[in-house]
Amino acid sequence: MSLGIMFKILRRHALMPALVLFQTALACAILCNVLFLVWQRVQPMVAPSGVAEDELVLIDQMASHVRPWTAAEVRAGELALSHVPGVRSASAALGLPMIGTTIVDYTLQSPHGAKVGVNGYFGVGLVHTLGVDLVAGRDFLPEEYRDFGVSEHSSSLPATSTAEPLIITQSLARQLFGNQPAVGKIVDVPDEPDGHGYMVVGVVRHLMRNQLTLATDGRADDTVLTAKRIGDTSMLSFAVRIDPAMREVALRGIRATIKSQFGDQLVQDFPVKISTYAERRHDALASARAALWLFAGVTLAVIVVTAIGIMGLTGFWVQRRTRHIGIQRALGARRSQVLRYFMLENLLVAGGGVVIGMALAYVANGMLMHYYELPHLPWNYLPIGGALVLLLGQLAVLGPAMRAAEVPPVVATRAV
Amino acid sequence: MRYNLMLAWHGLKRFPRSTVLAVVTVAMGLAATMTTLALLHQLTADPLPGRSSHLYLAWVDTVRAKPTQNQSLNGITVDQRHRIKLRDAEELLHDHRATWQAPMASVFTQFKSDGDKPRKGSDYLLATTSEFLPMLGVSLRSGRSWTPAEDQAHAPVVVIDSEMAVSLYGTTDVLGREFHLGHGVFRIIGVSAPFAPQPHFYDLASFTFGNLRRDQAFVPLRSLLDAGVDLAGDDGCDVDSPKPKTLFTSDPMYCASVSYWVDLPDRAKASDFLAYLQRYLDNQQALVGAGHARPAQLTRVDAWLSQQNVVPDNVRLNAWLAGSFLLLCMANVAGLLAARFLRRSAEIGIRRALGAPQRAIFQQHVFEAAMICLLGGFLALPLTLFGLWTLRLQDSGFTDLATLDPAMFGALFALAFAVGIITGWLPAWRASRIEPGLQVKSA
Repeated sequence: MSLGIMFKILRRHALMPALVLFQTALACAILCNVLFLVWQRVQPMVAPSGVAEDELVLIDQMASHVRPWTAAEVRAGELALSHVPGVRSASAALGLPMIGTTIVDYTLQSPHGAKVGVNGYFGVGLVHTLGVDLVAGRDFLPEEYRDFGVSEHSSSLPATSTAEPLIITQSLARQLFGNQPAVGKIVDVPDEPDGHGYMVVGVVRHLMRNQLTLATDGRADDTVLTAKRIGDTSMLSFAVRIDPAMREVALRGIRATIKSQFGDQLVQDFPVKISTYAERRHDALASARAALWLFAGVTLAVIVVTAIGIMGLTGFWVQRRTRHIGIQRALGARRSQVLRYFMLENLLVAGGGVVIGMALAYVANGMLMHYYELPHLPWNYLPIGGALVLLLGQLAVLGPAMRAAEVPPVVATRAV
Repeated sequence: MRYNLMLAWHGLKRFPRSTVLAVVTVAMGLAATMTTLALLHQLTADPLPGRSSHLYLAWVDTVRAKPTQNQSLNGITVDQRHRIKLRDAEELLHDHRATWQAPMASVFTQFKSDGDKPRKGSDYLLATTSEFLPMLGVSLRSGRSWTPAEDQAHAPVVVIDSEMAVSLYGTTDVLGREFHLGHGVFRIIGVSAPFAPQPHFYDLASFTFGNLRRDQAFVPLRSLLDAGVDLAGDDGCDVDSPKPKTLFTSDPMYCASVSYWVDLPDRAKASDFLAYLQRYLDNQQALVGAGHARPAQLTRVDAWLSQQNVVPDNVRLNAWLAGSFLLLCMANVAGLLAARFLRRSAEIGIRRALGAPQRAIFQQHVFEAAMICLLGGFLALPLTLFGLWTLRLQDSGFTDLATLDPAMFGALFALAFAVGIITGWLPAWRASRIEPGLQVKSA
């Protein structure tokens, strides 16, 4: 049967196909946007962290309300922690992976003017303590570290007149310098007009940022390490690398050390958080997981509702045309031809719906983007969502179409 | 009409399977929409009904500072200035141009009760002046609030709320007891009812939503500073201010660290007050040559809340998602209805042939659709409550507000009814167009 006749039939009984069209269009628009939102949430979950996940213990929320911790106390704590049995190294740090409560925010600018917003981690020996993989250049030298604290004049080093050293990730190196080697290059920080910029001394393979909501669209690795030593501060945190075989011993030792070193000054009702990287990751991604469950529910509901709708409507459509089908069969149409006819018809109607739906998805995303902080829906989500809906339509129509194919030719001779 | 209603009811029972399917579909759509809308409704509700319409945040920018970048590439907004310096607050308080006015700042700090074995705690309390309690309508269970004279004298007095009294002293009968804050000893002169407007609009910088967090006590601002408790956070400090003691505290004399709220009865008074603020700003000799001329601002609660974007984007986004899902469910049900109405073509034909007007057929079928959707509404009620319960399980700081109040309960059924009418319109119209003659002939 030619497409022309098919169109004619569809036009003559426009209500049913129109409703199927409307449903597929809506389903397609919703699915495209939901898929996109799902991917936004999934990306931080699948991005490589770049750190030694099994060996990392993170300590934060060490608040002192009496007076800030002094640089000497911080040093002493670092030293004490690194002597705990089972601990390989410990660094006082500002900004740590998977902890979004303290964020160091930088804007880097390459010599060509490319700007990237990054998160920074401060602390002595973080390359070793976090266990990041250095692929080019070197780690910071001990004499390169400068104190960073509330009163920066406590720094024992004079303010440098040259660029400060900086370690960046491979992804950042690509974004800032393209294919050229990054080591030895200078990047600017427009927020620090008095500074002399930063010189890249090392490149690490991966290091995930701690602003997880921004860890999407290739920005997960937008992280830098700077040569800063934690000076006097009122909020202290540590990264500790342990021997995974001695985890329990090390954790117990760490708790005891924190208590003995800092206990009498800690705010009582504000407990220090000492937990493994895995636990921190679990907590940090909790809201993303909840959102994923929600989106999974929405997707499932949309699929079920659309499938039921298409099945119901096509079923009725087939029933109405039982007699036509009988006549066709009596005139020599094969079962497979009848089956194919209904499948094709659904493809045609759903195809129209999908085209409208893709346009609708795009418009809806544009509107949402205008009002809320939402990235642009990339083009490639549209065909994915569309294909999904077409497949759904074909599966849903299979039942009614098979029933249509079972109609015996003899029906043509009977009155319905 | 009653006959049409009856027919509609019979129609429902004729195809129980498709009726159940339609009811369940509508219920799912309604429940999803109502869950998100109920949360949105709670989050956008007026924080202080009856009062918030004449409360304004007053702001004058007298901080002499280097201009800072407004927004980083990481989406962290630095420029959310709304607080003023204590010095300005005291000048404004002295002039007393509004009905009520008070500077304020929420402070998270440690405190303890009196006695040999004091109970300790740390939580938010509000540093403010005498007019805060009457201005925002904090009700007192016993005792009194403090007076402007006590503000002047830096009197160490405090008003705590009843829940804090119970947790710290074991009783609400605490008037005259001692309350230790910083290195000061404060006397409790009043016990208030817990005061937790949603959101915490008068100081959004410390926290926004949540039943768990609230300002548990009210302390005179100057006495709190005298006791060595620092205010947390500021909107910028003078360039020549001394170095802060810690990263997170600020000196209110040099830093903009208090919010200044005023109560003004009408718009005319409000514009007078704004003019006064601007005059005050123009007279600041110290600002001459500082190089910035940001005008004074007076922002009402509703404008303030929308400007600060307190409702999380996710909540609105989910409401849109749920709304479009409801639309899909409606399209689905419209299809189911069309199918079942047209199956009945023969009867409709007979009814028409016997003299029923098109209007009656239309009415019968719209009623049937509305009934299905109202049934869906009943089913959606437990589903909505379930959805809100799962929302409350998630800890996002604001989700404990996810409850269904009477207004939203009514809205659920109103929505169900509207959905029924809209959904039924097209199928019912199609059914009413059926030609009587043709159907009778073929039947």
